[in-house]
Amino acid sequence: MDPYDASESTPSASSHLKDYLIGATPLQKRLESVRKQTSFVPTPPRRKIPQCSQLQEDVDPHKVAFFLHKQWTLYSVTPLYQFSYSNLREYARLLNAFIAAEKQKGLAVEVGEDFNIKVIFSTLLGMKGTQRDPEAFLVQILSKSQMPSENREGKVLWTGWFCCIFGDSLLETVSQDFTCLPLFLANGAESNTAIIRTWFQKTFDCHFSPLAINAFNLSWMAAMWTACKMDRYMATTEFLWSVPCSPQSLDISYAIHPEDAKALWDSVHKTPGEVTQEEVDLFMDCLYSHFHRHFKIHLSATRLVRVSTSVASAHTDGKIKILCHKYLIGVLAYLTELAIFQVE
Amino acid sequence: MDEIVAEFIRRTILKIPMYEMMTILKAWNFLSENQLQTINFRQRKECLVQDLVLLCEEKCASLNDAALLDIIYTQVHRHQKVWDVFQMSKKPDEDIDLFDMEQFKCSFKKILQRALKNVTVSFRDAEENAVWIRIAWGTQCTKPNQYKPTYVLLYPQTPYAFTSSKLKSFMPLLGQALTVASKHHQIVKMDLRSRHLDSLKAIVFKQCNQTFEDHNSITPLQERCLELDVNVDSRIIHENTVEKERVQRVTQETFGDYPQPQLEFAQYKLVTKFKSDLNGGILAERKEPLRCLIKFSSPHLLEALKSLAPAGIADAPLSPLLTCIPNKGMNYFKIRDK
Repeated sequence: MDPYDASESTPSASSHLKDYLIGATPLQKRLESVRKQTSFVPTPPRRKIPQCSQLQEDVDPHKVAFFLHKQWTLYSVTPLYQFSYSNLREYARLLNAFIAAEKQKGLAVEVGEDFNIKVIFSTLLGMKGTQRDPEAFLVQILSKSQMPSENREGKVLWTGWFCCIFGDSLLETVSQDFTCLPLFLANGAESNTAIIRTWFQKTFDCHFSPLAINAFNLSWMAAMWTACKMDRYMATTEFLWSVPCSPQSLDISYAIHPEDAKALWDSVHKTPGEVTQEEVDLFMDCLYSHFHRHFKIHLSATRLVRVSTSVASAHTDGKIKILCHKYLIGVLAYLTELAIFQVE
Repeated sequence: MDEIVAEFIRRTILKIPMYEMMTILKAWNFLSENQLQTINFRQRKECLVQDLVLLCEEKCASLNDAALLDIIYTQVHRHQKVWDVFQMSKKPDEDIDLFDMEQFKCSFKKILQRALKNVTVSFRDAEENAVWIRIAWGTQCTKPNQYKPTYVLLYPQTPYAFTSSKLKSFMPLLGQALTVASKHHQIVKMDLRSRHLDSLKAIVFKQCNQTFEDHNSITPLQERCLELDVNVDSRIIHENTVEKERVQRVTQETFGDYPQPQLEFAQYKLVTKFKSDLNGGILAERKEPLRCLIKFSSPHLLEALKSLAPAGIADAPLSPLLTCIPNKGMNYFKIRDK
């Protein structure tokens, strides 16, 4: 009996959410306590182990491949005011003009870049957790080729996309005028990202914030991704710690064979189908104690900066790289949760 | 002076930063004082380089002259390369021959020329009886590639050679040539690698204690420890003073009181079983060890490690796996359960 196989028949939207969040998430608890003006008493949260969701089966794997193996810089975005999916062409035109104007102002100077660019807005079908989630959409800046022939698609200079995966807790709180896509991922030159952000902020009265991922969440990600069932491992499981010692910095990289990491996780794991705080803590403790046995160094006193598994890798500065298409939605769901928490 | 030499000299001089130009050219000693004085050193670098190359042409610089300039540049910029350490050994019953530098150079060159036909070998004597060797590798039919040479710093009175090479395929041949020419029996690559050639020397020649003895301060340990407390109200005492002092003492005993040799990383390949008293039962039945690769990186690794216990991040004494690095002369390790 393998509890990880997604053998359920088409689940309903509400059970999807229930599937993902069993009991109140830390987010909900924090919101509750703020509203009630009570002190926050942390009870161990649980999260369901990411599975290959039904919705994702419908997505074209080729299209999904576009999002894999790229480093995305993460931002949280407040809901967009009066955004309409039927105006995407108009938005593309406006953004194009805005970028051209900004570049002529000399605000973003890139060597060798010409002003012949083309902006495209497109919706990403299937990039959602439940049917309630708004459609994700993609913005791309392409260089317009000098040749007038139509087949010469320009080179993609910059890509950014907005999505919302299992964003019910946020969707419940906003009115109809707002579109909630709290997670923004960008790939490309930072100068372009800044221009895009400015335009969206002006046009839709929203606000972008870089989404940092703290050590607590990195540990959760490491545990959850190690828990994911994989047919084969493409990458070693690796952690990177930064040691706050002076005067010289010290980085410690701890790579463990993915099969051994999984064996350790399986030994720690008790509750089928979900991950608990205790299990995450125990998993990390085991890694710390194995390290301490050899080196007498307390990794828990240092700062976890990066985790990397065959599913995905995440850096504390808010950078993510997703390696496995099966768990794309699962990874995005966690990030959406973090984004929502930051937005609220 | 053929085109290859001219281009090689041009590119080498171009690499030299302006503030070092005079020093390096003087050390090279190929262009005379008078000749150098005819050059305008304030012009743009490309023009300056062109003038210098013309001078070299007038003086008919040879490939060997160019190679010497390259050696000098590398000596000054040795930290830009990563250096490996090799250790040679003689057979136990062999007599210790007196080392003859000229014979070594001749023999070394011959071995390589016999093997490859096309190879450029250059020597530059250094202090402490050492010699710098530069080898540009070719093959039976292709000319030597002057832009991917191997550098060797050899201390003939010791069994050690330090090498930096971008082309790894020639290393066995290099090892053979070094061994035979210096009348050794065997050569082994040590698990030690760093950009800091001087630190490698310090570690390998166990110079840590001697070289830095002058820096040893005379202030007693306790005064140094509690320096910060001098200006504080004497009614305030530190918790754990005893423990703090113990940690300082143990750290000093382990690392010594002198600046540590500079290494950038240490790498450990661990194949050891998981054992933990606190997390009892975890992986208890698993016979296979955990396969881990641990890498410590820092601009100055040993100083950083030294600061861990006093900072409370590590226990004192620190694990021997870390403290043995200078003594064992290793920064690559493979650890298995006994």
